[in-house]
Amino acid sequence: MSVNGNMLSLKNLNFSYGKKKILDDISFNAEKGDFISILGPNGAGKSTLVNLISSILKDYRGQIEVGGRNLKGLSSKDIAKMIAVVPQYTNPGFSFTVAEMVIMGRNPYISRFGAERKEDFNAADEAMEKARVLPFANRKFSELSGGEKQRVIIAQALAQDSPILFLDEPTSHLDINFQIEFMNLFSNLNKKENKTIIGIFQDINLAIQSSKKIMLLKEGRIFNSGSVEDTINRENIRSVFGSDVFIGRNPVTGSLYVSPVFNTTVERDSIIQASNKYSKVHVIGGGGAASQVISLLHSSGYIISCGVVNTLDTDLDTARMLGIPYVAEAPFSPISQDSQNRNLEFIKSSDAVILPAVEFGPGNFSNLVSVNKAVGLRKRVIIIDKENIEKRDHTGGKARELYGKIIKDGAIPVDSANEVLMRLQE
Amino acid sequence: MRAGTRTLKYIVILLIILGLLIIIAASTGVAKISLKDTGLILASRIPGINHFVNTDLIENQDIVIISQIRLPRILLSVFVGMALAGAGVIFQGLFRNPMADPYVIGVSSGAALGATIGLVFITGAGLSGISTTTIFALLGALGTTFLVYNISRIRGKVSVITLLLSGIALSAMLSAITYFIMIIKTQDMAKIVFWVMGGFTSATWSNFVILAPIVTVLIIISGFFMRDLNIISLGDERAVQLGVQTDRVKKTLLILASLIAAVAVSMSGIIGFVGLITPHILRLLVGPDHKILYPASVIAGGIVMLVSDTLARTVLMPREIPVGIITAIAGVPFFLYLLVKSKKQFF
Repeated sequence: MSVNGNMLSLKNLNFSYGKKKILDDISFNAEKGDFISILGPNGAGKSTLVNLISSILKDYRGQIEVGGRNLKGLSSKDIAKMIAVVPQYTNPGFSFTVAEMVIMGRNPYISRFGAERKEDFNAADEAMEKARVLPFANRKFSELSGGEKQRVIIAQALAQDSPILFLDEPTSHLDINFQIEFMNLFSNLNKKENKTIIGIFQDINLAIQSSKKIMLLKEGRIFNSGSVEDTINRENIRSVFGSDVFIGRNPVTGSLYVSPVFNTTVERDSIIQASNKYSKVHVIGGGGAASQVISLLHSSGYIISCGVVNTLDTDLDTARMLGIPYVAEAPFSPISQDSQNRNLEFIKSSDAVILPAVEFGPGNFSNLVSVNKAVGLRKRVIIIDKENIEKRDHTGGKARELYGKIIKDGAIPVDSANEVLMRLQE
Repeated sequence: MRAGTRTLKYIVILLIILGLLIIIAASTGVAKISLKDTGLILASRIPGINHFVNTDLIENQDIVIISQIRLPRILLSVFVGMALAGAGVIFQGLFRNPMADPYVIGVSSGAALGATIGLVFITGAGLSGISTTTIFALLGALGTTFLVYNISRIRGKVSVITLLLSGIALSAMLSAITYFIMIIKTQDMAKIVFWVMGGFTSATWSNFVILAPIVTVLIIISGFFMRDLNIISLGDERAVQLGVQTDRVKKTLLILASLIAAVAVSMSGIIGFVGLITPHILRLLVGPDHKILYPASVIAGGIVMLVSDTLARTVLMPREIPVGIITAIAGVPFFLYLLVKSKKQFF
């Protein structure tokens, strides 16, 4: 069935179990080709939303429109032709074969007194092909692994040939390779077949890799919705899920990622008090190389600063998160004279300077110049992982040369962040 | 092979077996009648073929034995077997539970109590050849089904667990009442026990003429819900997502299967195991797809009951054994054998 424009629209949807309000005035539109992820903690009303849209629950107030038509005016089969649901898991009462399971997805197209026609078998075969279950079409569903079973259920949903695919935490009990495989499959269906995909996910990272839009659900209300960039930030995640996260950017894909912050409670007696000789430390950042040493020194009680790093750099996120001062440069721009000067100010006021295993190119070569000046200023300079400078040098040997000079002039080479801690306590 | 072709294949094979067994069963008994004569007599009863069959050379007494005594009994047993196996498939599918049988929601104890009341308290000839016992058994079975069904209906939905529990509870109470009547009317105890054990000794054409069309119609109507039954076995909510009107289909099938079981039990008494085991045997042979399983089980149920009843009336000739004893003693070991064999294959 092909419908253009609004595939699914909810208008002021309210639902209660007895006196307990589960969904409170939910309104949203999903257009053709959308990939929307609904995120929220347990009990936010996500499952209720699935049950309402697939018409398992019916006593709602407000309006649900599917393909421009009121859900209440559609028969069960009409709804199943428009929306296919991929549930979390399925447990058939009998041991059907894979083919028998998938053909059940054609039910909306077969009348009570009719039988499966050739086009139904073709559609089932095509669905099995897409979900890669055709090779074991004649095996028993009950004998498959969890991931294979879920592929069969996806094939069953694809056999429904519906413009909307509703994912109800379809990968939550699967291992990582199946999660990736399925998200790629859903992405492809969204891009190549222009299927509208609405998904509920537990894993925020999995959701934001493929989604075009995010809807954050909290206590039955839409907390925030919009693009991934607009919705996924520390404040929103903390408000919705109540947990502190760190939001960074994948250096390869450029997409956001969320990782939880575990309270690194440091033993009291291991904290170095500021009375130490090298209590103020400046760390050169870049490409995430500094994050480990920054958080280690921070949790050990040192006063840290960081620079110069680009705005989208992981090291900058780390610095922001820990609330330490930093010098930042605009994304993908070379370090300006101004930034370099401010960085030098930090270095001058520090007792020690740390140079982690940063990659050097023409854009951040000036950071190395600053480190050289630090050695000249008689600061204690500690260099991590000096051996691999050749691999990290993208300046045609200039960086390696200066690096050698810095070490010759008295910088201390070490192998790990933990060793930095030891050298600062000397 | 696609489901349709497979279904047809199994049904044709099972129907041929059933036909041959009917001829063999009709020729066996105290009076020895040859297979050839039996075949001719049976053929002469089939409209359309009877013009080409000449039974002049067969003794009149044999014709009477076969067409008035054995044939109604054979056909009645076949139809009761079909009804029990069909209802068994439906209940097992609806409850997603292999322990379910046609009596699972209390049809049998309701029928037993009704039959007991009919036997002990009511005197009369019954209606159009149907005995008062049968009529009261039917009323008891239907009444119990109605009661259990209404107890388990909560806000328009039927809860399976409530259905099973209220069925068990009500059965216990109805059986207790039946036993109480047996104690106060000791002189009727043998009659009651004999009815409850089940059998086809009192089979007549008038019983068959009532039973056959009702069972046939109900079984055929139920047959149109087998795709839904497949999908419902994935779970109620999943079935809704696949476009099945789960609540309505479940109610419809529940009522149809209960009616089928009620009619069967009122005609034959309580014959165990056929409705439970036949679907299992057929599931092992043809797989779980109800579109094949249901028609195959229905015919196989007829075969199982026919064989059991033939054994019941011939093993200790001229004495008869209640058919329920045969179904249990012969059916259960066969079923256990299949169960063990399939276990070795699959696990």
